Amino acid sequence: MAHDWQPDFEQLVDEHQSMVFSLAWRMTGDRGLAEEIAQDVFLELDRHLGKIESAVHARFWLRRVTMSRSADALRRRKVRGIDLWVEMEDRHCVQGASGSSPLGTRVEQLLGTLPEPQRAALVLRYQEDLTPEEIAATLGTPLATVKSHLQRGLKLLRAKAQSNLREFVRVKEQVSGL
Amino acid sequence: MDFEPNDDFERELHQALQRRPAPPGLKLRLMERRRSQRPLQLSVVWQRLAASLVVAGAVAGGFAWRNREELRRAENARQQVMIALRITGHALNKMNAQLAAHNRSAQQ
Repeated sequence: MAHDWQPDFEQLVDEHQSMVFSLAWRMTGDRGLAEEIAQDVFLELDRHLGKIESAVHARFWLRRVTMSRSADALRRRKVRGIDLWVEMEDRHCVQGASGSSPLGTRVEQLLGTLPEPQRAALVLRYQEDLTPEEIAATLGTPLATVKSHLQRGLKLLRAKAQSNLREFVRVKEQVSGL
Repeated sequence: MDFEPNDDFERELHQALQRRPAPPGLKLRLMERRRSQRPLQLSVVWQRLAASLVVAGAVAGGFAWRNREELRRAENARQQVMIALRITGHALNKMNAQLAAHNRSAQQ
């Protein structure tokens, strides 16, 4: 198929390294593993650069492959019996993004305790601002399943936040007291 | 694409899940890996090309040897037939001479 778009590998890395790394980190909970996945994904992109037809296609391809590689990495870790997010919380003490509130940081940590399919749907929804249809295309999952994962994941996350986060309650009380 | 949160919690979640900056040096390490893999890929291509040439040479050599062997056998067979024809001709001449001598003595 003929297409005029000329991909520039370095430019693609510059544009998308933050997205790829963030997706991999939020899916695996391991900063080192996320960087490894990000490098592997970009090297794979380099090998498939001739098949990439547009900037939009490149972004879609990167999201899809990153989610797939992260899921593979999680499966390998599960076989070895390691709970990545617990490991991360215990050892590395997750630091929030600059400007994010302690509540936001805690919500992000709780996201890591959700089942993988729900976490994937929520990360793509709230980090990447994708619609359920786009999430379904990215994950190769039926739309109804994605909607279900989004609803259940959000509900579970709310429940976890309300029951486990005293800080969340305190902030809510402060806000409601104003 | 604009995201419209339904409530505070979704807004907080959206805020918490902003993209993180990639680790410093990720691109540098990636480009180093890419460079180190390139010569490897090229050498693999050359190795495959060399292996293909060796296999093609062996096959062509095999065909050439078989062709030459068939020609050699055909030449041997031709020479044997020629020898057989020469022997047969010689025997027929001898028998002809004997018959002629026999006829002459019978007429005398």
